[in-house]
Amino acid sequence: MTTAVTIPRHGGTGGRTAVAARARQVVKAYGTGETRVVALDHVDVDIARGQFTAIMGPSGSGKSTLMHCLAGLDTVTSGEIFLDETEITKLKDKKLTQLRRDRIGFIFQAFNLLPTLNAIENITLPMDIAGRKPDAGWLQQVVETVGLAERLKHRPTQLSGGQQQRVAVARALAARPEIIFGDEPTGNLDSRAGAEVLSFLRKSVDELGQTIVMVTHDPVAASYADRVLYLADGSIVDEMHHPTAEQVLDRMKNFDARGRTS
Amino acid sequence: MTVWKTSVRNFLAHKGRMALSAVAVLLSVAFVCGTLVFTDTMNTTFDKLFTISSPDVTVSPKDAEGAEEQPGNGKPASLPASVVQQVAKADGVERAEGSAFSMAVTVVNSENENMGSQTGAPTIASNWTKNDLRSMEITSGHAPRGPTEVMVDADTAKKHKLGIGDELRIIAATGDLRAKIGGIAAFTVTNPGAAVVYLDTATAQKHLLGAPDVFTQVLVTAESGVSDARLKESVAAALDGSAAYKLQTQKEAADANKDSMGAFLDVMKYAMLGFAGIAFLVGIFLIVNTFSMLVAQRTREIGLMRAIGSSRKQVNRSVLLEAVLLGIVGSLLGVAAGVGLSVGLMKMMSAVGMELSTGDLTVAWTTPVIGLLLGVVVTVLAAYIPARRAGKVSPMAALRDAGTPADGRSGWIRAGIGLLLTAAGGAALWVTTQADKATEGSMYLALGVLLTLIGFIVIGPLLAGVVVRALSVVVLRLFGPVGRLAERNALRNPRRTGATGAALMIGLALVACLSVVGSSMVASATEELDRSVGADFIVQDGGAGRPIVPQAADAVHAVPGLEHVTDYAFLKAKITAPNGKTADEGITAADPTYQQDVRRTALSGDLAEAYGKDAMSVGEDYAEKHGVKVGDTMTVAFKEGKTAKLTVAAITSDDTNIDRGAMYVNLTTAASYVAADRMPQNAVMFAKAEEGKEKEAYAALKSALAEYPVYSVQNQADFKETLKDQVGQLLNIVYGLLALAIIVAVLGVVNTLALSVVERTREIGLMRAIGLSRRQLRRMIRLESVVIALFGALLGLGLGMGWGTAAQKLLALEGLEVLDIPWPTILTVFACSALVGLFAALVPAFRAGRMNVLNAIATDG
Repeated sequence: MTTAVTIPRHGGTGGRTAVAARARQVVKAYGTGETRVVALDHVDVDIARGQFTAIMGPSGSGKSTLMHCLAGLDTVTSGEIFLDETEITKLKDKKLTQLRRDRIGFIFQAFNLLPTLNAIENITLPMDIAGRKPDAGWLQQVVETVGLAERLKHRPTQLSGGQQQRVAVARALAARPEIIFGDEPTGNLDSRAGAEVLSFLRKSVDELGQTIVMVTHDPVAASYADRVLYLADGSIVDEMHHPTAEQVLDRMKNFDARGRTS
Repeated sequence: MTVWKTSVRNFLAHKGRMALSAVAVLLSVAFVCGTLVFTDTMNTTFDKLFTISSPDVTVSPKDAEGAEEQPGNGKPASLPASVVQQVAKADGVERAEGSAFSMAVTVVNSENENMGSQTGAPTIASNWTKNDLRSMEITSGHAPRGPTEVMVDADTAKKHKLGIGDELRIIAATGDLRAKIGGIAAFTVTNPGAAVVYLDTATAQKHLLGAPDVFTQVLVTAESGVSDARLKESVAAALDGSAAYKLQTQKEAADANKDSMGAFLDVMKYAMLGFAGIAFLVGIFLIVNTFSMLVAQRTREIGLMRAIGSSRKQVNRSVLLEAVLLGIVGSLLGVAAGVGLSVGLMKMMSAVGMELSTGDLTVAWTTPVIGLLLGVVVTVLAAYIPARRAGKVSPMAALRDAGTPADGRSGWIRAGIGLLLTAAGGAALWVTTQADKATEGSMYLALGVLLTLIGFIVIGPLLAGVVVRALSVVVLRLFGPVGRLAERNALRNPRRTGATGAALMIGLALVACLSVVGSSMVASATEELDRSVGADFIVQDGGAGRPIVPQAADAVHAVPGLEHVTDYAFLKAKITAPNGKTADEGITAADPTYQQDVRRTALSGDLAEAYGKDAMSVGEDYAEKHGVKVGDTMTVAFKEGKTAKLTVAAITSDDTNIDRGAMYVNLTTAASYVAADRMPQNAVMFAKAEEGKEKEAYAALKSALAEYPVYSVQNQADFKETLKDQVGQLLNIVYGLLALAIIVAVLGVVNTLALSVVERTREIGLMRAIGLSRRQLRRMIRLESVVIALFGALLGLGLGMGWGTAAQKLLALEGLEVLDIPWPTILTVFACSALVGLFAALVPAFRAGRMNVLNAIATDG
């Protein structure tokens, strides 16, 4: 099935565009010759600013690879990726590191925090590395929103899994990045802790105008997003706006059925 | 069998992580084996030389000097030439030859350069006998004929580019002999460095022994079929069993020679093995750290093994087996490297003039066995505690999300024990400083050193916390958040940091301690020189300590512009105190001007009167011990002369290093009891320049002694400089040997960092993902390394200075009265350890920087 995906074009409104990041004809291939595996096959995608985007797809569909490429963690074989107006596919490691530090936030599935630093130190780490002073008011707001005010001096080992992920979210938000990437941020959490983190992400989009891109395989998690992109075999095959968990689940079942019959 | 298999698999899988531990084992084992092979080879060399060159039986005078002794009057003890004929008549004697030789000679070329060895090997002058053909062959020219010809050994000829026809001067107590080289003879065995000149027999007798009809030894060759033992018996019979002679078979003579050499070799061997021991000790820390980290990193794996049914014992054993494998690999490489090391040492010795042949390379079967055993046992011992910890891993560990191993806490019990040990050690050191007997004090010193060392090692983790925090306030805070990360990393496992630092601490503590003692030695001696030495110039043989031959002494006396010249000789005597106790003592015979040259305090009596006729002085300790008072009469039986009754005119204070406990008599008093040709030569000479003529006199003395290059003229500044240089050289050798331990400790820092980087792969990936630049990452690792190194240095230097100070207070009893802490050295070492830290981080930081961010994040556990 090759459902054509209409890629929303947001017009330039002066200053920042309505597109936070975009990928053009991105190819990511591993190996050469017969062992060549194409993880991303000429992908075009636009990430809307101020939206919560979920990327879904079966294992091996390339969803994590796409996120890593968008976030400047991985290099592409060909194609272009822009963060706002910066073409990150052209950047050298040093500039790329700076870009990640100053303009991107990350939430990983696990092991998000440095065990030697306490919660607040972990939250301000990207700014510390950059040598910037965190905006105290903003930091306060973020910390309060994540509900960690009581535990700022705790080390990661003294926090529950959900709390650890909330610290990670707070870290991602604290530096006010243009875009936050989450790699299955609730993958390691039980449903209650996961719901906490997801509502919090939702809130930061609604209330703080944050742009978030999240890779997940959990339909419930995806239902928190404004828009869901479906990847299969390295291509974007479908998308869905304002989904519910049931809709997402149905769509995924469809993939599974197709996967079994093809 | 499965245990064996998992061990081998693990060992092979982690060979990279074990590499540095293997190098540590390798270095220590190599040093041990190298030492053994080297000393064994030296033994073989001397053995061959002494055995081959000794005749079947040697007859020498009973009171002949040992190989290490110098005849006081410059002429070796001798026996009448008639003994040769007497011996020749004995049964079973094929040949008896008289040998006239002396080691109290100096040989110089026409440029007045010393032809002798600079490494302590003797210069030997001898007549040429058939016996010499055992170990030598004439390669050019011919044996010496007449008083104007000499033959020289080929090694010396080569070293100093001597050829047939060149003139040599042989300086002996009887005078200078000028002769031309008529032949060159080469050793057929390895000659480690002695310079040998041969004279014609009559010339040797006259010039070396001072009489035409005497020999130093009779060299006896047996008829074929006669054993050495039987020959010795028959020679003894022919000499009517006279007690005046000493008879030695070939083996006995070789053994006697070897004993004097062997003592020196043993000292060297045990000193070097001691340093190898320190390197082993330091290596233990490295191995403990390696295995601790391997076990920690493998916690999940071990948990899984336990979950599927491995017993604690099996887990424990599998870790120990890995240690055995590591020990075997490291030791085998070490044994090979040790042989290489000894060859290198031999080459180095050759370069400084001590010839050793690789043909004599001796690898006893015990050497590799000792090396292998030591290496394996030490490795297994070091791995024991980590192995036990591995055994304690619960099966639950398999289920836990491993992440980084939990921060190791230092543990209060451990801290308590450590503090207790350190306190006890500190107390012992304090007692040392208060001790008034050297023997008792040195026991406390040893105890104090041991206890504080162990104490510091035990509280290392606790100290790591304190010191690293303190250091980071001073150093790391300058580097902002990267510095803070480095501090946290250094602190996250205090045990690991403590052990890594402790390894460095050991070597540096010894460096600091010895540098304090060494510089206190120099300071004390300088202070005393300033206080008590009034002479402007000192003349002596600074190298071998040989007495000054009369012709050189005359040259000194003839120098113009000197207010006085003091002769100073040393006589042996049996002295009977008024209380009837008799003992062998040494007596210092000097000119009365000596009182101005070296000022001594008389506790009672008047030292000037001790230089009067038949008068003497004694030292404070002797006087106290024997109840001697001024006015008492002492009975002094001079070894080479008559017995004198001398009156004690002064008792001198023993609060000094120079001439401590010396008994003084006037030279003329000594001369009236000892025959002129038995009077010893000057051991040292002192001189004072006329007012305002110091410079001229100094130059004149130098030129007067130019013909006698073994004697040096030193003014006070030279003397202090020489003293400082000698102590400095000794310290440098010790530092050089300690370098091995320090290298192993630095490897330990590299090892800890490298393994930490592996362990923290995910963290590094995370930090890189959220924007830590490569440069910042590398800086973070370098800073951690510097902090660990500075931690070790601070502990080591502090500990060492404490030891050194306690040692100085103890040695103050022996005259080491001035404490001088060499701050420039200490601070340089401290600064260098920061550099060492940077250097140690080089590879780990590079590797961390090169890590792929995505792979690092994806790394399991």
